[in-house]
Amino acid sequence: MFLYAWLILILPLLGFVALSWVGNRLPEKLAGLAGCATVGASFLVTLICAGKMIGLEPADRLNHVEILYTWISSGSFNLDLAILVDPLSIFMFLIVTGVGFLIHVYSISYMKGDPEFSRFFAYLNLFIFSMLLLVAAADFFFLIVGWALVGLASYLLIGFWRDKTSAVLAARKAFIMNVIGDVGMVIAAFVIFDNFGTLNFVDVFSAAPDQFRLNDDTILLITLLLLVGAFAKSAQLPLHTWLPDAMEGPTPVSALIHAATMVTAGVYLVARCHVLYELAPYTMFLIAGIGALTAIFAGSMALVQYDIKRVIAYSTMSQLGFMFLAVGVGAFSIGMFHLMTHAFFKALLFLAAGSVIHGLNGEQDIRKMGGLRKVMPLTHITFLVGALALAGFPLTSGFFSKEAIIMSSFYSPLGNFVFWGIAVIAAGMTGFYIFRVYFYTFYGSSRSPEVHSHESPLVMLGPLLALAGLALVGGVLGPWTHEFLAPVFGVESPHYHDVMLETVTVVIGLGGILIAALIYLTSSDRLEFAKQAFAPLYDLLLNKYYVDEIYDFLIVKPTKAIGVFLEEKGEKYGIDYAVDEVGRQVRYVSSLVSLWQSGKVRTYALNMMAGLVVVLLFVVFL
Amino acid sequence: MGNQFLLIISATIFCIGSVGFLIRRNPLIMFMCIELMLNAVNLLLVGYSGFLNSLDGQIFALMIMAVAAAEVVVGLAIILTIFRTRHELDVDHMNVLKG
Amino acid sequence: MFEITYDVVVFIVGTTAVLASLGVVLCSSPIYCALYLIGHMICLALLFLLYHAEFIAAVQIIVYAGAVMILFLFIIALLGGKKEVQENTLHRMMAFAFVFILFGELLLAATVDKTLPLEGVFDQEAIQSLGSAKAVGLELFSRHLVPFELASALLLVAAVGIICLAKYQTTPRRQKRI
Repeated sequence: MFLYAWLILILPLLGFVALSWVGNRLPEKLAGLAGCATVGASFLVTLICAGKMIGLEPADRLNHVEILYTWISSGSFNLDLAILVDPLSIFMFLIVTGVGFLIHVYSISYMKGDPEFSRFFAYLNLFIFSMLLLVAAADFFFLIVGWALVGLASYLLIGFWRDKTSAVLAARKAFIMNVIGDVGMVIAAFVIFDNFGTLNFVDVFSAAPDQFRLNDDTILLITLLLLVGAFAKSAQLPLHTWLPDAMEGPTPVSALIHAATMVTAGVYLVARCHVLYELAPYTMFLIAGIGALTAIFAGSMALVQYDIKRVIAYSTMSQLGFMFLAVGVGAFSIGMFHLMTHAFFKALLFLAAGSVIHGLNGEQDIRKMGGLRKVMPLTHITFLVGALALAGFPLTSGFFSKEAIIMSSFYSPLGNFVFWGIAVIAAGMTGFYIFRVYFYTFYGSSRSPEVHSHESPLVMLGPLLALAGLALVGGVLGPWTHEFLAPVFGVESPHYHDVMLETVTVVIGLGGILIAALIYLTSSDRLEFAKQAFAPLYDLLLNKYYVDEIYDFLIVKPTKAIGVFLEEKGEKYGIDYAVDEVGRQVRYVSSLVSLWQSGKVRTYALNMMAGLVVVLLFVVFL
Repeated sequence: MGNQFLLIISATIFCIGSVGFLIRRNPLIMFMCIELMLNAVNLLLVGYSGFLNSLDGQIFALMIMAVAAAEVVVGLAIILTIFRTRHELDVDHMNVLKG
Repeated sequence: MFEITYDVVVFIVGTTAVLASLGVVLCSSPIYCALYLIGHMICLALLFLLYHAEFIAAVQIIVYAGAVMILFLFIIALLGGKKEVQENTLHRMMAFAFVFILFGELLLAATVDKTLPLEGVFDQEAIQSLGSAKAVGLELFSRHLVPFELASALLLVAAVGIICLAKYQTTPRRQKRI
C-alpha cells in the first residue's frame, strides 16, 4: 500500500549519485537547487504518506512492510530490501526531510563561494538517505547498514574542510566512537538472530513477549548491546567525547546531524525496540539514569564554554539526556515529541549561530561578540525564540515537551524522585547557559569593534524564520503526536498534571534565565565575583572534567603502543622473518636437489635403471 | 626345456647389456651395449613368435631393427661431431648441462 | 633324438651368445668389443634359424651384422679407441646392485608361479611356413603396411639427419675482413 514510500529514500540517493558524479561541473546555483529539490520532493512524498496514514484506522497503521527485492533467501533465513511504514517511521521521515530541507536551503547561502560546494550537497544528500534508511529499515540488518552509513556521512561532513587539521582529527574521533557503537549493534543482531531465527522487526517484536520473561538474561544482553550503539550515536556518557569536537564541521552540518537527526537515532532505536526494552526494566533504569546524568553533566559543562557552537553542542547532549530519560521511564511518545521539538529549536539555534558566525566572518568566540541586536535584528529574534524554547519558557514548544518529560520522570512507574530532581536542576542550567550566550552575543557593546558585521541574506533567514515559527507553535502538535504514535507503542502515554510540580519546574527554569540576566546583562563585577568564587570548579568544567585526557591515557596510548610494538617487532621479526625464511628454505632445498643433476649421462642412466627396477617390482609382483 | 631357456637367455643378455651401458665411459661402447639390449629383445620376440604361431613377433622385431639402425646412425654422427671439438671420448667429461 | 640334439644345439648357441656379450662389456679396447658384438649377432642369427625364423635371421646378418656393425667399425677406426681404465666407484657398485636386482626380478618372473611361461604349441607343419620370406612378406604388406611405410620414412629422416650433422664445413665459417 505504501510502496511509493521507497521514493522518499531513493530521491536523496539519486541526488547523491548525481551530485557526486557531475556536481563539480555544475554552477553553484544548480547544484544547490538539485540538492534541495531531492530533499524537498522527499518531503512532499512524506506528506502524502502521512496524509494516507492519518486516514487509516489506528489498528491498520502498523506492520506495512514494503518489500522492494528479496536479496537473500537461503534455508530459513530471508533478507529483503524492505522498509517499514508505520507512524513512528513516518514521524521520523517528516522530521528528517522537513528540517533537512530547510537546512539544505540555508546551506545554499552559507556555503556560497566554497570551492567544494557540490561535494557538500552530495554528502548532505547521502546523509539524508542514510538517516532515512536507518529509520525506515524493516529489519535489524538494514538498520545497522543505515547506522553505519550515517556514521560515514558524519565523518565525511565533519571533516569536510580537508585542510583543517582539527576538523580531520575530530572526524576521525567521531567515526571511531561511532564504530564502537556499531560493534555493539552487530553483536546484538547476532544474539537476536540466534534467539529468534530472524532479523525482521515485525517477527522479532511479536515473538519476544512470548519467548522471554521479564529481565531474562538474553533480553538484558540484547538491550544492553543495542544500548551501546545508541549511546555512541547519541553522545551519552561515556561515549560522548566526540560531539563537542564535531563542531569543527560547517554549521549546517552541526544543525542537521548533530542536533536534529543523527544523534537522535539512539532515541529512535530505543523507541523502535520498545517491546524488547519493556521486557528489560533493569536496562530501562540504566537508560533513564544515564540520560539524567548526561543531562546534568553536559549542562554543567555548557555553563562555562565560550565557543558559541560548543555551548549548543553540550546543550544537545543535555537534551538528548532528557529524551533518554523519557524513554527510560517508559514515556516513549513523550520522548519522541521532545525529539521533534528539539529538532526545531536546536536546528534553529545552530542556524542562527551560523548566521552570527557568518555575519562576523568566522568569529565563534562569544567573548569577542556583543551588541549584535541592532546589527542583525532578524537573527536576534530567531535566536531569542530558540533560546526561549530550549529553556522551556511557558507556551513555547520546548515548554510542553520538557514539562511532559519532567512530569513523567516523577510519576511514571519506572521514575522516581531522584530522576525528577536531576532533571529539574538540568532544566535550570539550560536556562542559564543559553541565555548567557544570548546576552554575551546580542547585548552590550561590541567587544571587537573592528569587525564589520552585517545581517545575513534572505536565503539564510528564510529557514530561520520557518524554524522559529515551528519552535514557537510546535507545542500544539503534542496531542496529535501522542495520538498518532499511540498504535506503535501500544498505549497512549498518560499525561500527568500536577500544578505544584509544574510550577516548581517553571520557576526553576525561569530562575536560570534570571541569574544569567543578572550576571551578564549588567555589569561585569558579578561575573568576576562568580569566577573567583568557583575557580577550581570552573577549571574542571572548562576542561570537560578531563574525560578526554583520561581516555587518552587509558585507551589511546596503550593501543598506540601495542600498534607500534607490533609493527616494529612483530612485523620485522615475526611475519617478515617467517616469509623470508620460507623463501630461504626453498632455495636451500633446491640447491641441494640441484646437486643431483650432474650432467653425466651415466648418472641419469642409473636413475632410469633404478626406476625400472621399482616399476617392474610393482607391475610384476604386486 | 622350451621357452624357459629363451627367457633366461634373453634376460641375461639384457642385463649384461645394461651393466655395460652403466659402466663404460667410451660412448661407442655404450652404443654397442644398447645394441645388445635391443638384440635381447629381438631374440625374445622372434622366439615367441614361433611358440605362439603368429608372425606379429617377427614383424615387431623387424621394426625394431629398422629403428635401431636409424638410431645408431644418428648417434654415431653425434659422437663424431662431439669428437671433432673435444678430441676425446669420455662421457663423464661431457657434463655441460650440470646443475 | 632329434629333440635332444635340437635342445643341445640351442643351449650351446645360447651360451655362446651370452659369453660373447660378456666379451663386449668387459673388453677394454673398442675394436675387440665390436668384434665380440659381431660374433654375438651371428650367434643370435643362428638362434633365429633354430627358431624357424629364416627371414629374420637373414635380415639380422645383412642389416645388423653387415651394415650397422661395419659402420661401427668405421667410426672406431676414425675416432681411435683408447683403452679405458675402470675404477671402483660408488656408481659402479650401485650399477651392479641394480642390475643384479633386475636380473633377479626377471628370473623370478620367468619361473615363479603366477608368471610362468606358457607351454608352447609346436605345430610342425605350421612352423615350416611360418618364418619364410614369403610368409613374412605377406604379413608385412597386408596387415602391417602402415608401420612398414613409416619405418622407411624413418630411415629417410635418419639419413637426412646425419648428413646435416656430420657434414664437413667446406666453406669457411667466417669471412675474414682484410
